[in-house]
Amino acid sequence: MNYVPGTASLIDDIDKKHLVLLRDGRTLIGYLRSIDQFANLVFHQTVERIHVGKKFGDIPRGIFIVRGENVVLLGEMDVDKPCDTILQQVSIEEILEEQRLQQQAKQETEKVKLQVLKDRGLSVPKADNLDEY
Amino acid sequence: MFRFQSLDDDCTLEEEDDGLIDEEDEIDQFNDDTFGAGAIDDDWQEEHKRLAELDERDGLGAGRGPGGGDCSPSPASSAAAGRLPPLCFSSSSSGPQGQDERSGGGDLAESLARFILDADPAVAGVGAAERRGPAPGSAGPVLSAPRGPDQPRVLQQPASIPPKHQLPPGPPASGLPASSVLSYQQQQHLLRRGAAPMAQMNSHSIWDNSMGFGPVSVTPGLVTHMEDSPLMSIIKEVGLPKRPPQGRSDEGHDLSERAPPPRSSSPVIGSPPVRAVPIGTPPKHPMSLNHQVHHPTAVHVRAPVQHRFPAPFPERLSPNTLLNMANSPLCRGPFPPRVGPVLSQLQRAQLLNSQVAGFPRGGPGPPLLAGAGFRPFFGGPPPPHGHRMGPPPPHGPPNHTPPIRHNTTHLHPQHRRMLTQRMQSRGGDRVRTGLDRRSRDPYSNLMSQKEKEWVTKIQMMQLQSTDPYLDDYYYQNYYEKMEKRQEKERDSSRKEHTTKLITPQVAKVEHTYRPVQFAGSLGKLTVSSVNNPRKMIDAVVTTRSDDEEKREKQVWNKRRQVLYTVEKMFSLLLEVQDFEKRFVQTPEEDRDALLEQHKSNTEQLSNSLQDGDWEDRVSDEQCVMIMSVRKGKRLVARLLPFLPAAQAAAVVMAIARNLPAIAKKDKQDQALCCLVEPVSAVIQSLSSSALTDLLQELQGGEGQLAAALQNKFGVTLLFLILSEGERMQSSDPNCQLMDDNRWTELVFSVTRELLGVPSSSLAPPLFTPPNLLSLFSRYVDRQRLELLQDKLQISASSR
Repeated sequence: MNYVPGTASLIDDIDKKHLVLLRDGRTLIGYLRSIDQFANLVFHQTVERIHVGKKFGDIPRGIFIVRGENVVLLGEMDVDKPCDTILQQVSIEEILEEQRLQQQAKQETEKVKLQVLKDRGLSVPKADNLDEY
Repeated sequence: MFRFQSLDDDCTLEEEDDGLIDEEDEIDQFNDDTFGAGAIDDDWQEEHKRLAELDERDGLGAGRGPGGGDCSPSPASSAAAGRLPPLCFSSSSSGPQGQDERSGGGDLAESLARFILDADPAVAGVGAAERRGPAPGSAGPVLSAPRGPDQPRVLQQPASIPPKHQLPPGPPASGLPASSVLSYQQQQHLLRRGAAPMAQMNSHSIWDNSMGFGPVSVTPGLVTHMEDSPLMSIIKEVGLPKRPPQGRSDEGHDLSERAPPPRSSSPVIGSPPVRAVPIGTPPKHPMSLNHQVHHPTAVHVRAPVQHRFPAPFPERLSPNTLLNMANSPLCRGPFPPRVGPVLSQLQRAQLLNSQVAGFPRGGPGPPLLAGAGFRPFFGGPPPPHGHRMGPPPPHGPPNHTPPIRHNTTHLHPQHRRMLTQRMQSRGGDRVRTGLDRRSRDPYSNLMSQKEKEWVTKIQMMQLQSTDPYLDDYYYQNYYEKMEKRQEKERDSSRKEHTTKLITPQVAKVEHTYRPVQFAGSLGKLTVSSVNNPRKMIDAVVTTRSDDEEKREKQVWNKRRQVLYTVEKMFSLLLEVQDFEKRFVQTPEEDRDALLEQHKSNTEQLSNSLQDGDWEDRVSDEQCVMIMSVRKGKRLVARLLPFLPAAQAAAVVMAIARNLPAIAKKDKQDQALCCLVEPVSAVIQSLSSSALTDLLQELQGGEGQLAAALQNKFGVTLLFLILSEGERMQSSDPNCQLMDDNRWTELVFSVTRELLGVPSSSLAPPLFTPPNLLSLFSRYVDRQRLELLQDKLQISASSR
């Protein structure tokens, strides 16, 4: 039953598997159980999926309640469709390790960049870190 | 069998003879008890009841902590657990709690435990192994038994089992001090049984560890209890998932007070619905299952139990669920011998159906698949597909499973099965299966219809607009374009109307705030809300015509003016009055200045009363105005003594002249009488001619006297005047009062008036001068005199 035809509503997405991207860059996959007018979401059997390069790892998280303002995008996942063959699933430890390495590399480049800029007398204004993603 | 062996020359056996023989003896004994006359089956119900009571009494809380193994509801085990810390691998935080409660009863258990541990080498050996094994894996919150409020009793039983995992050599979990039902033999058996699963503990994954936590030393009686009660609960629960949705719709409960619906949908959590296949069997090692199968157990296994699981599992197993399932009695190996073949049969059958690493409905599948499905959750490369198949299916085509991979790992195996089914039949019934899936999803409909409607209503509220084209221009345009497009695309013959959103159109209504008013109450109550904030000021706009306004203004202005004048004069008067005092106090040199000031003040005062150009003539208007105000009268009363004689006389004259008006205005205040004293003082200082004039003034025009007579002050004034005249006459024979006929005439008229005026309208004077009688006697005859006397109540004695 289409509750609000002609508009976008999350009512019809209830009890379906969704993928949600949060403002801090996390990707959660779970069953959308409940919503409210602020698009606060209740996820069930949530799995946080970390992607690093071509690899990804799933961390089971249980029940998640996401505050609506932190949602970047939300989409239904097709359970029938097979997962990408390009992506390769790895264990949690491995993916976390990969993530750490990635973060490290990023920090290194940032540092180098800052140094180079400093040498040239320029300064990068501190970005608003609200959306770290 | 063992006995025979012992007879052999095999030396190795001899060494173990004792142990073996002991085992054998105990096993035999157990067998007798179990299958013989002493079978506990008969008592299991009572036992169950009693245990349940005990469990309830002991409370769930203690036993449900993380790793909650120590404080199992069963008193003995906890007591034993307390006493045997090294054997408890999970956090022992909850241990001491339970321990305290059962210290008394646990003594026997504890002694038994010690005895078992010490005496039985096999047990000890097992215990050691156990200790080593699960240690790494115990960190996880594995054994968190569910705290479902609706299944406390049921879950107690099964939950008692997981904790016992951690007491491998079976602290006599079974050694319930109170229950003598579970004999020592049974305990021993349990210990034996406990040793069996040890063999499975060879897996690396944490889940395996947790699953293979070890032997569950549970009494066979308990086992059977647990078999049945959870079964019963599950059977009940099977019915439950259907109920909650209905229940929610039936109850008209307010959303705001909504309590989460009973989570009956996860019957598995914590409860060991299936004990057929020991969860300790990791999918990786199917052999372990077989191994388990072969392990001899003499537990009375209820094979038919298996079939009682219609659909106990949620379609998707959460980690906790799976864990709990894993830790539940499945770790025990009671079932294997019997169940094994049954299981595989079941599995086979279902695998045929499903072609998926099948979760057979209500079968032992879940635990296996739980392990399998679980694995991807926690990392590690997705298990080889064979894992998903669980125990090696006779002919389960694993080839079909590869397509279902990563994103379905957290699906319920049943769900997965359906997915593959769907994949097989591509393009069909997507919706149906979707609905199907949802209908079987025990977690579905967490959001009731009411709640959905509520959210929709809020969304609709936000769409309210009086002018949609103004508020939502782009949407309106878009919609129109879409409709036009649809019209073009479609033939006019088939009119399919897409559902159109009807946004509520709110008419613009002026909502004027009307505060809540109650009849008979003073003022307006401030009942404020978000939409009607409190009205702080009640500004009432009164519309008047200009003329009225002017008149009112004038009147008001005049009065204000009068008051202003009075105030000014008063201030002067006060200064004048204080002059004396000040004069005395000021030093010599300043006295002149003060005198000057005083003079000017008095002058000012007198001037204020004056009527413009004429000296000694008080402006009537001013006088009346001042006299109309109470304060004005007071002012005059205080002022008179300070005025120069002529002025004072003039004032008195003015008063007399305007007495009717003044009297009328005085009706409310009744302050004229304060003037009596000063006026009398003035009168006494009057000359005869002035007096006559005064009398004349008093008489004034027609009816003036009569009006004056109605007023107390008037009468008093009259009397004063008359009395003064009389005094003059009597005291001074040469007074000029008689020179002029005026006085006599005036007196005559007064007398006439007095006689004429009805008594009722004659106001009683403040006081009656004594010499009035003599006055009247001079002018009137006896008859009239008497009348006057009566009227005026002039007593003859008051001479």
